[in-house]
Amino acid sequence: MAALTEQDWQIQLFIYNFFVENERPPTYQEAAAAFGLGDEDGRETYQRLNDFHTIFLDPGTSNIRIANPLSAIPTNYLVKINGKRLWANCAWDSLGIPAMLGADATIEATLPLSGERVTYAVRDGALIADGGLVHFPLPFTQWYDDLIYT
Amino acid sequence: MLLFRSEEEVQEWCVKNQRSRGEVLTLNHVWELSKVWYGSRMRPDFRGRSIDKVIEVFEGAGLTSAFWKPTSPPAKLD
Repeated sequence: MAALTEQDWQIQLFIYNFFVENERPPTYQEAAAAFGLGDEDGRETYQRLNDFHTIFLDPGTSNIRIANPLSAIPTNYLVKINGKRLWANCAWDSLGIPAMLGADATIEATLPLSGERVTYAVRDGALIADGGLVHFPLPFTQWYDDLIYT
Repeated sequence: MLLFRSEEEVQEWCVKNQRSRGEVLTLNHVWELSKVWYGSRMRPDFRGRSIDKVIEVFEGAGLTSAFWKPTSPPAKLD
């Protein structure tokens, strides 16, 4: 696998900034336009980023599903941060978003067995939570076999 | 990675979903790990993370069991 180019990394950063600002990932056409590229170049860039595991496309499409810790679709982990509503992929990623943005956040999570809604928060760099355990069912070597499940 | 209130809930979920227990961390432990894992993600100089760096991050968080070892990783990790 060829290494990513400097422009690829710049587009990756653009994706994250766009995602956070707009509460959705950019299409490859939007990313291409931002860099003065043609649509096909944008699509190929998304594919390279996917192959390199910096983003994850919905299978068979060029649409971003995951840019860890961000999810393009609603999940059980809603992160309210900087006036935005962002979805995290999992419990870990729900804390990854405030860690990534270095900002206070309130997280609303739905527990998997009971469906109970719970809230925890990050304030001034500290976690405020009433307990809570995060289960990692798969060892690290299997995380990327099926990232949506992971 | 799902959030639970107790070890008993984790066990119940594992039985229902026919999954092994894997590892369970406190939410606070995951917060500490998140700061290291994701803290640099949106920095302009972020260029991914090498396998050696993954090991360093996990070991720095006290995660040293085989469960956290990247023995057969993908070519590049986010």
